[in-house]
Amino acid sequence: MIWVKLTFGGFGRRFVEALAAAIVLAATSATVAASLMVVEGARNTLMRAIHRDRPDVVEVKSRFNRALFETPRSGNLPPLTIPVYEPLIDPAELEAAAGDNQVVKRQSLFRNVVSGDSFLNIYIFGIDPDVERDLSSFSLARGRFLQKGDRAVTVLDQVSARAIGVDVGGSFPVRKADGTDLQLTVVGILDKLELRGAPPRTAEAPSLRPDSTFVSSGAFVNIQTSEDIFGRESLTDALVVARNASDVPDLVAKLQEAFRLEPGIFVTERYSQYQRKVRDFVLTMTLFSAVGIATLLLAGSFAANLLHDIYIERRRQYATLIALGFRPAMGIAPAVVFGLVLGFAAVAIGALAARAFVPRTFAMPSLMADLGPTEPTIDWVVACSLVAIAIVAMSAGVASTLVRLLREPVAASLSETGP
Amino acid sequence: MTQAFVSVRSVSKTYRSDCATIGALREVSLEVEKGEFVRLSGPSGSGKTTLLNLIAGLDRPDQGEVFVAGIDVARLSGSRGSRYRAEQVGMVFQSYNLIPQLTALENVLLPMIALGRTNRDRAREVLDLVGLADRSNHNPSQLSGGEQQRVAIARALANDPALVLADEPTGNLDEQSAELVMGLLTSAVRERGRTLLLVTHERETAQTADKCLELRGGVAISVPEMSSSDGLRSSR
Repeated sequence: MIWVKLTFGGFGRRFVEALAAAIVLAATSATVAASLMVVEGARNTLMRAIHRDRPDVVEVKSRFNRALFETPRSGNLPPLTIPVYEPLIDPAELEAAAGDNQVVKRQSLFRNVVSGDSFLNIYIFGIDPDVERDLSSFSLARGRFLQKGDRAVTVLDQVSARAIGVDVGGSFPVRKADGTDLQLTVVGILDKLELRGAPPRTAEAPSLRPDSTFVSSGAFVNIQTSEDIFGRESLTDALVVARNASDVPDLVAKLQEAFRLEPGIFVTERYSQYQRKVRDFVLTMTLFSAVGIATLLLAGSFAANLLHDIYIERRRQYATLIALGFRPAMGIAPAVVFGLVLGFAAVAIGALAARAFVPRTFAMPSLMADLGPTEPTIDWVVACSLVAIAIVAMSAGVASTLVRLLREPVAASLSETGP
Repeated sequence: MTQAFVSVRSVSKTYRSDCATIGALREVSLEVEKGEFVRLSGPSGSGKTTLLNLIAGLDRPDQGEVFVAGIDVARLSGSRGSRYRAEQVGMVFQSYNLIPQLTALENVLLPMIALGRTNRDRAREVLDLVGLADRSNHNPSQLSGGEQQRVAIARALANDPALVLADEPTGNLDEQSAELVMGLLTSAVRERGRTLLLVTHERETAQTADKCLELRGGVAISVPEMSSSDGLRSSR
């Protein structure tokens, strides 16, 4: 009980000052926490954008020639032999333009597959499985994924598999460019899939979302198999992964220069959009950091000043305890514990208040049009910052007392009459 | 030759501030035997409190040596100094220096806590000695100045120290309270055969003191005629 009284004092003027300091510190913490939460939310949004949009990826796509592609949606017509993309991308030319950046080759084909007494539209994607798995996501329901060296095997999504009526181990025929059929053996069924940089899709297909930026349905084969089906090595689309996101503008310029005589080939990038998001993030961070720092300086100095007044009295208590035979560490412990308890309690209250009252989503349309709404987030960065505030406030309050105790003998504090 | 219980040898102490250097003590020597009552007097700023602080180990001399019970006080580390004060020294201050948020009993318990020997019965006993057994649960703000100083005396005697240092204990008290406090202090110390160094301006105490020393400008300049000892020396 004596130590509690030594640590927290009584309920006099100093208690009111301590309470005021705690309230100011709590309000400061709440403001700073809210600001940091918005900044963290914006940072998370930016990180998500980096992960989802991959600003380092450049898409190269050939225009889809609809005039040659019209296909029956239903009925009992023979399957078309070949989808027509015009013009096509020369892989050698693409690799030359890409330089030392990674080229992800693709062939995106469309076929009518006989299913019972009707035809089924299905997209067939020729991919390099090892490279593609780093960019896109594939989740297997059963079986296995494609492997390098696989020939005439496929993995497809569950809806397409059901529509065709096949499962792992089964097979279905696909008409090749030379008019013969290639029997594709199913080695895996996909649960979820997101093929980044979706090629053009206009025809209906099972579970296909035409407007999505990801392909979520189709049959996937090794690019060697798709070359067999397509009858050529030309690519319908491709991705080029820049070594650094900042290299993208130069890379795009080189690709556009390489394909300047091919008006049907389009080079698109998300780096510019990403840069606008970065700018929005920096703007958000600057604004809220300024709010946080200004609050911290103004209110924090006020709280530290109150703590300083409290510590002047503590100095006398410390000196008295030392004179009575307490070890220096025991003498200073109540003051340090008091400061830390006060600081951490105030910061905890402030953090909880910020957590309770900050809106779930936060957007400043004029500033963050590109970054979009953010979710204010309290994470370890915010928590550590708040803990730092508590320690800084306590340190600022105790600093002058500490300097005085170091510079002057304890005896001098015994003769002090008060602040 | 045996060493005196308190031995201060050619001690000098100077305080330096930004604008001035103040010589608080200049080559002061003092020897006090165990059980003696020494009266220290002198004008304000003459170094009386400084001398007591040096003996208590709360401050260090610029030069010279301070021995108490054979302990080289000036060279004690922080924790050893604390141990020395807790075991050997009881201090009474002019401004009482009671902890305001603690009761009288808790204030008396503090030196025992420092030693790790909390004994409430002992604390009540010393409070009873100074006539405040019935005020043990009162906070300092609920006590008069004289009562607060009596609590401070009880606190100084709590660990039964060999040396009691009292720095103008009656300086803030009215005449009646001062007389009571001084009587309590001297009798309590003498009854236990303890050593008392008392800084005071009150002339009456000179009658009962074993030795009297007057400090003037940081120098021990006189041995009053009431003193029965030649244990006080000055460089001058």
